[in-house]
Amino acid sequence: MIDFTLHRASAILAVMCLFGAAELRGDDLEFFEKKIRPVLAEKCYKCHAADSEKLKGGLQVDHREHLLAGGETGAAIVPGDIEQSLLIESIRYHNEDLQMPPKEKLSEEVVKDFENWVTAGAPWPEEPVPERDGEAAGESFDLKQRFEEHWSWRPVEKPELPQVTQSDWPRSDLDRFILKRVEDAGLEPAEEADRQTWLRRVYFDIIGLPPTQEQQTAFLNDTSEGAREAVVDELLASPHFGEKWARHWMDLVRYAETYGHEFDYPIANAYRYRDYLIRAFNADVPYNDFIIEHIAGDLLEKPRRNPENEVNESVQGTGFWYFHEATHAPTDVLGNEADIMDNQIDVFGKTFLGLTVACARCHDHKFDAISTADYYALTSYLHGSARQEVPLDPGRMREKTRSKLSALKEKADALIDPEVTSPEKVAPIRDGETVYESFSDGKIPAGWSTSGVAFSGTGSKPGIRFSAGDSVSAPGKVDSGLYGEKQVGILRSPTFTIESEFIHLLVRGRAKEIRVIIDNYQMARFSGLLFNGTVRKNLDTEGEYNWITMRSELAKYGGHKAYLEFSDAGNGSLIIDEIRFSSSKDAPELPLTGSQSALPAAAIKLVKEGLELEAALPKPEFAVAMAQGTPESAHVYVRGSHNSPGKEVPGRFLEALGGETGDRLFFANKVADPDNPLTSRVIVNRVWHYLFGRGLVASVDDFGPMGTAPTHPELLDFLASEFVEKGWSIKTLVREIVLSSTYRQSSELNPDVSPGYFAGVDPDNLLLSKMPVKRLPGEAIRDSILAVSGELDARLSGPSVPTYKTRFMTGRGGKKSGPLDGDGRRSVYGAVYRNFLSPFMLTFDVPGPFGPKGRRSVSNVPAQALVLMNDPFVVEQSRKWAEKLDQSKADHSEVIRRIFLSALGRDPRESEREHLEQFLKSEVEGGATKVDALADLVHVVMNMKEFIFIH
Amino acid sequence: MLRRGAMGFGGVALQALMADSASGAIVNPLAPKVPHFPAKARNVIFLYMDGGPSQVDTFDYKPLLKKYNGQDPREVIGKLAPTQFDNVGKVLEAQWDFKQRGESGNWVSDLFPHLAQSEVIDELAFVKSMTSKFSEHTFANYFLHTGSAFQGRPSMGAWTGYGLGTENQNLPGFVVLNGGLIPPGGLDCFGSGFLPASYQGSVFLPKAEPIANIHRQEKTAEEQIRKLDLLRELDGGAVREAYPDPQIEAAIQNYETAFRMQTAVPDLMDLRGESDAVKKLYGLDADFENTKTFGLQCLLARRLVERGVRFIELTCPSGNGDRWDQHKNLVDGHDKNCKTVDQPIAGLITDLKRQGLLDSTLVVWAGEFGRTPFAQGGDGRDHNPFGFTIWMAGAGIKGGACVGETDEFGYKAVRDRYEIHDLHATMLHLLGIEHTQSTFRFSGRDMRLTDVHGHLIDGVLA
Repeated sequence: MIDFTLHRASAILAVMCLFGAAELRGDDLEFFEKKIRPVLAEKCYKCHAADSEKLKGGLQVDHREHLLAGGETGAAIVPGDIEQSLLIESIRYHNEDLQMPPKEKLSEEVVKDFENWVTAGAPWPEEPVPERDGEAAGESFDLKQRFEEHWSWRPVEKPELPQVTQSDWPRSDLDRFILKRVEDAGLEPAEEADRQTWLRRVYFDIIGLPPTQEQQTAFLNDTSEGAREAVVDELLASPHFGEKWARHWMDLVRYAETYGHEFDYPIANAYRYRDYLIRAFNADVPYNDFIIEHIAGDLLEKPRRNPENEVNESVQGTGFWYFHEATHAPTDVLGNEADIMDNQIDVFGKTFLGLTVACARCHDHKFDAISTADYYALTSYLHGSARQEVPLDPGRMREKTRSKLSALKEKADALIDPEVTSPEKVAPIRDGETVYESFSDGKIPAGWSTSGVAFSGTGSKPGIRFSAGDSVSAPGKVDSGLYGEKQVGILRSPTFTIESEFIHLLVRGRAKEIRVIIDNYQMARFSGLLFNGTVRKNLDTEGEYNWITMRSELAKYGGHKAYLEFSDAGNGSLIIDEIRFSSSKDAPELPLTGSQSALPAAAIKLVKEGLELEAALPKPEFAVAMAQGTPESAHVYVRGSHNSPGKEVPGRFLEALGGETGDRLFFANKVADPDNPLTSRVIVNRVWHYLFGRGLVASVDDFGPMGTAPTHPELLDFLASEFVEKGWSIKTLVREIVLSSTYRQSSELNPDVSPGYFAGVDPDNLLLSKMPVKRLPGEAIRDSILAVSGELDARLSGPSVPTYKTRFMTGRGGKKSGPLDGDGRRSVYGAVYRNFLSPFMLTFDVPGPFGPKGRRSVSNVPAQALVLMNDPFVVEQSRKWAEKLDQSKADHSEVIRRIFLSALGRDPRESEREHLEQFLKSEVEGGATKVDALADLVHVVMNMKEFIFIH
Repeated sequence: MLRRGAMGFGGVALQALMADSASGAIVNPLAPKVPHFPAKARNVIFLYMDGGPSQVDTFDYKPLLKKYNGQDPREVIGKLAPTQFDNVGKVLEAQWDFKQRGESGNWVSDLFPHLAQSEVIDELAFVKSMTSKFSEHTFANYFLHTGSAFQGRPSMGAWTGYGLGTENQNLPGFVVLNGGLIPPGGLDCFGSGFLPASYQGSVFLPKAEPIANIHRQEKTAEEQIRKLDLLRELDGGAVREAYPDPQIEAAIQNYETAFRMQTAVPDLMDLRGESDAVKKLYGLDADFENTKTFGLQCLLARRLVERGVRFIELTCPSGNGDRWDQHKNLVDGHDKNCKTVDQPIAGLITDLKRQGLLDSTLVVWAGEFGRTPFAQGGDGRDHNPFGFTIWMAGAGIKGGACVGETDEFGYKAVRDRYEIHDLHATMLHLLGIEHTQSTFRFSGRDMRLTDVHGHLIDGVLA
């Protein structure tokens, strides 16, 4: 053997010498000059030569050396081996991702010439190697330099408080930073907004709803020193706080309840994540913990539990990874996975770090200190994870029941004679068949993982299982019914590489779903197209052991990665005995299973006792979440192509921020580390953006070199440091800002400042010498309409209300229409169907759920006027409000006052009152009923600009 | 009580708004803009053939398919790319006869008798080597419409509005005439993505109420006017003086525009002024219901062009099998689809020409991909993004031209291969927009309809 290898190696060496530059034969040379070089020059040099204007793919083809060195995808030729030569692959035009020349396939004859040339060792005459000028010095990617040059990578440093002239103006330290710049610019801060204006402002900014008449009166009558603080504290404690701030976060994580694409399939239980957010914001979960829950909440040893029902909250944060779009039947499942990961990384990078990490998918970032290796290091975490429908366990009922049943089982098992069951016989293993797992030691095997409490190993001895009529457990299996039929759980195999056509599972019982999940592709449960036989739903073997055959379509998916997932949703149980990978589509023989003897009476009694306990278990609940899969080092996809895998990179944090490797929880902690310069800056800037309508860094999702520079860098760092010092509390930060002098300003320029001067020094009000006017977001507009009409149903949480479907909302995957008024629920509870988004919300710039959106656009278009003028919802609410007003005994003047207080948060001015009274009077005189006239009147008020613009 | 008059609501002239916008006080994102260079096309009509028409049955004549009909394509053609349904049948010859038509001698199958008339066919310029990157409908639809496979990117109509504005402020700048089918991928094919919402496509149904909220809810126009007059008083009162704010000014102006749209839109739909001959030309008297529907869409497209609407897209009526997506029953499905669009499109070209509008209107006919030259199962064809036919006509187009070529089976583009980005670049070019310079900063990048790609399809340019 050794001899042979040596011979072969020297033979190759000999060939290489033979066709090396020195020993070229004449006819080879002629062939090259006639058939090869002219084609290269004509078809390739434009993009692949020393003098190409722009070198494509890093490849030069104007010298053999360059061809051997290759470009970004590797060596262009392997002399003597046409199958390994990318140049040949590309001109053959068989690979859709690699076709050259790009516009036109070379003739078969020319392709043949190139094949012959490469087979002959790719002879090339001796000549100087043409090199490009200054290439290396030019645009090379220097991560360190970029890291050093850009502001947002610098550590957060708490600055000194600036000295200001009007030292009595600041109430909060943050005011000093604002005032300093205002004074330096020769401006004056605006006067304080009147109390009514401020009140309306804080209500919308903190809870997204207008103050009621009673709330206004209470505040205006409270002349005490701490009146504003009291209002703010009350609002921060209101459960509506979470509804308002959760919606901001939902924009970032492209929250949606369907997958979009052709059939808009549902993302089941998405709303649990929305409710998790609402609770988390209401509980003011420290932001660093909140981040860790999002990235690795499933891995926490001590998860945060809901104080009321002890449900694991932390794991639900990981749901955000999975609100991506998804299509059924992708012809290229690995490419599909790569696209989904791109979206996940985009959301992750922008949301938490304000970084456009996803820009480094195909090449090192063009501007920022982020390499392609950084990007693919993050994909390692995604490759090594699994999407799961995690069972929730309110009251920890399932967990507690299991431990009670576990104690009973221990007692009962002791009563069973280990020899009761006769030995089992294994079915013969056929050609082309391997046993993947036989669970012979009766444990969940290493590398396998579970969610929920249902699945466990049956151990090495017979025992009992809590199942009526099927209560003897044989050893050497995995069983989801050992602790009751109503328990729920998931069992996942490690990731394996598909090498056989069929997977035979020897199972008994019932399961909600068994899946072969290929390249993390989740959609086969909706459509079997291209994934036929990879999903088995509502399995029932009718009490007998049976072989279930899954297909892994070797022809299509051979070499792809996959894992098995078994789901028991609490409706029966599943015993898994053995798993085989096989080339045969026919199931193996059914083995002889051990016969069971009757249980002793004492054991039967214990089983009964357990079954009674188990009967009390409630219907199971699930949430979308991440689970740990088999850890993996991802390949860099060269130039973004999954067909060109490059070097491996393990999961690690961005190199610019240390680049340490570790598991996903380690990584989450790195993101939430106080020393990470981006995380705290990004979140305080977001809060500032939501309260002032513009961030200190205007590009809230992009802190990179292509983003905007901070207007107040010291203030940003001051807020970020304080935020961390004060325990990462969003509520504390909101409180600090809304009680500041800066936020209290009127939206009018200070009368002492001339508008001309202001327009000259700060036309965009970047220095905040007055409060910006803000248009309400779509949700607040709709919620306001419901609030003033008295139709708002203020209940919290729960499944979403289906979108009201107009007749313009057609297309595939259509859902049943919801009610016109959305059941009166707040807009945050309206369903988000990707292909059927609410036209009302879209008109008012509620973003489509496709990528992170920290800054919504604020458009100003006639369609908005048409909605408020003619939308049946608005008209209906006007009428409902009018009907209530009509019941009142108050005179017109008082009714008008109430309308203004509800809708605009202020009393009507005299002239306004006169106009409205006149309108009512003349409408009624013209023959309208009072309720009709009132409906028209309140409809007009809802159309006032002041209704949707907040001062 | 009637207070409508020169000072009443809706009486403010449109010019006033435009004058204000010119002064910079109000930013009107749809105001007409100066193109990068003199434009050939003022308007675009995009005839979207949802589902992917078969090139080898319509315009791409491949006699060799007849020779190998019924044979295994893997033996005849060679290695095949994965298909959407993974159910490769035999080589399937064209199911209709082809003839050369007009002076150009371009090939047209018997599916398009009206388009084949010489005065129409010689206006058309074919690209027979178009390619897409995607075999799935939604990806390919987003790609065709937005230049990206990701959902939520701006549609080509939105980019056009962003680049050029529009000429009629009482109608949207980008109108989708929905024949009944919203393509897979949904309304996001026509969205504005990261561009401002004012550029998004407005979906019009060819019906009495073509768009949402266009009809007042008040019993009489007078009642609405009284309300809007009151509104103007309230909006224009003390508050406005106290807080002069450009965005509030713009919002007030929007009510004027919205009010006028309430008239402009029904006026668009009112066909009483169209002669019977014109209606007949478009096939409004046809026996086949879908011909009438698409005919009405085509006629409305011309009326939108007349009204200065910048970008008009037509989607197909339902009920012809599954769009153009004939995975089976190719003959029946393509028959119906062609019957639906053939006469109306021929009528549109003829009518535009007669009205002198064809010189300034670019008409584009395209699906998101083509179909395989081999069967899917027995009597269908699967998706084929590797080489398919589109055509263009009108402004700046060299009628009768034919560029590019697929292989001898009509499977893959082999000569002058073009991709969707090239179509976009060419369309923008004809509109006077340099595609590399029409950018919008988003997500840390200067985004383009053509991403980092796009070459002009020179061969179709006049």
